[in-house]
Amino acid sequence: MTRRRQVRPWNQRIAPYLFILPNMLIFGVFIVYPAINGFYVSGFDSSNGRTFTPVGAANYGKLFGDEEFWSAARASLIFVVAFVLISTAAAIGLALLLTQPIRARGFFRAVFFLPVLLSPVVVGLLWSWILERRSGALNSVLGLDIGWLVDGPTALGVTVFVGVWMHVGFYTLIIMAGLQGIDGSYHEAARIDGAGAWQRFKHVTWPLLRPTTLVVVILSMIAGFQAFDFIYTLTGGGPLGATTLMVQYVYEHAFRSPIQYGLAAAGSVVLFCTIFALTMLNFLYGRRRESM
Amino acid sequence: MIGLAPRRERKRSTWTSASATAPPATARVLMYAGLIALSILFLAPVVWTMLSSFKTRTELAARPPTLLPESFALDNYTEALSRFDFGVYLTNSTIVTVSATVLTLAINTMAAYALAKYNFRGRNVLFLVTLGTIMIPLQIILIPLHQVVADTGMTNSLLGMIIPPAATPTGVFLLRQYMLTIPDDLIEAARIDGAGELRIFLRLILPLCRPALAVVTIFSVIWRWNDFLWPLVIAQSQSLYTLPVALAQFNSEEVVPFNYILAMSVVSMIPVIIVFLFTQRHIVKGISQTGLK
Repeated sequence: MTRRRQVRPWNQRIAPYLFILPNMLIFGVFIVYPAINGFYVSGFDSSNGRTFTPVGAANYGKLFGDEEFWSAARASLIFVVAFVLISTAAAIGLALLLTQPIRARGFFRAVFFLPVLLSPVVVGLLWSWILERRSGALNSVLGLDIGWLVDGPTALGVTVFVGVWMHVGFYTLIIMAGLQGIDGSYHEAARIDGAGAWQRFKHVTWPLLRPTTLVVVILSMIAGFQAFDFIYTLTGGGPLGATTLMVQYVYEHAFRSPIQYGLAAAGSVVLFCTIFALTMLNFLYGRRRESM
Repeated sequence: MIGLAPRRERKRSTWTSASATAPPATARVLMYAGLIALSILFLAPVVWTMLSSFKTRTELAARPPTLLPESFALDNYTEALSRFDFGVYLTNSTIVTVSATVLTLAINTMAAYALAKYNFRGRNVLFLVTLGTIMIPLQIILIPLHQVVADTGMTNSLLGMIIPPAATPTGVFLLRQYMLTIPDDLIEAARIDGAGELRIFLRLILPLCRPALAVVTIFSVIWRWNDFLWPLVIAQSQSLYTLPVALAQFNSEEVVPFNYILAMSVVSMIPVIIVFLFTQRHIVKGISQTGLK
């Protein structure tokens, strides 16, 4: 920002630091320091979280040799890819529908936003009741006998579905804000040139919506890697670890016996680096496309 | 795109700006059919849960499950509150949510104001730190964070649930974007009139930021009320459980009958739904005005 440098009175020079101090203090102590310390902790072995013995990179060796870790990493990857793609596409579709001149638009918008309000724990409970094999509402309404939550691949699919169900309203809201920012005259011009609805979407809405879509992709990616709470009550990570994602892997090694603090920290570091790298990739890709 | 450039203009176009004319009749029918089908998918689970929370244990065990309860008796609710400690968990949740939200609002607005309206050494670095921490959700730093909190003696206390997640990067970002739309001249004029820095912030800036404050409040309430992993890690004794922690623990251990868990799940939904109904106008407006696009 270019602003003329002025000599300001002392209170105006001190004020910004005082204003920003409390927030930065909490950021520093509870986010930045732990984030850095995580790398350090991952180089130690501790069974009680109090006494630490340095082990170098051994935790990483143990991590990469752990079959459960690879299972969690694979499940996380499948979950995140499916979750991001479906959420983003669904949010764009829903946002386009909800910005049409339709009746009861306010009602529909509220309905799709409803799951965003609910506790993930409750969302997990709720769907586990509905999908329960014998007493669940879905099987009895449809007259089916499908063990939605007891078969590995189906359970992971259900987990993705519930994740999308819970988050899509929020992403729809962001896309709607993006749609609002698109100048109506572009669509008008395209319409006069004889462009149909699909062509208008492809050549006007889609390119102009790119920055918003990028935000949704990044947010949903981070949310995907964070997913744990609703899975804890939906499947508990089962059957046989099919829906145990990275966060649950880290949680269980850190807080459930046998406690392996260092191993869990190493898992966190891997998770952190993955999110960091993918977010950066997204940003770079977004930047490149914008400058073209 | 989340960028450093200020966004000064505020647009007031309508929500229909993506398409101005009504689509043809068949398309309309399809559209409504789709919307209604999707609405059922989003509403039915919640409605079914709410209806089921009034059912007796025998009705809940019925095969196939019934839709409506025989009588709308509040037994599940009253008994869950009296026979189990759900009242305590409800109180814990309320204390954590309210104090964490107040703290978040106070420190986030102050930080946002500094970032939006002052030129000072290190501003860009601090703003980048803020943006960067969006990528570091609590789940990722669970172990080192737990250590810090243990070192400060805040484990197994409500304080440990309130303070660490209070500085939310998203909140600072939203508020900063909104404050950029407030003209600098307004602040200069107040200074010429002799108002101090704190006074300008409290009396001039805060009232102008009401829509953005509403958004941050709503999201903070939703996040804190529904939070699970962090309270789970912090609460070692059962007397410190928040509602989500209690629900998840009791569900996995099956120490509390299903009908009570159902009733308490509904109780946990109600406050956020009420907050949302009163403030939904602000959410939509606030998000589109705070530059989250």
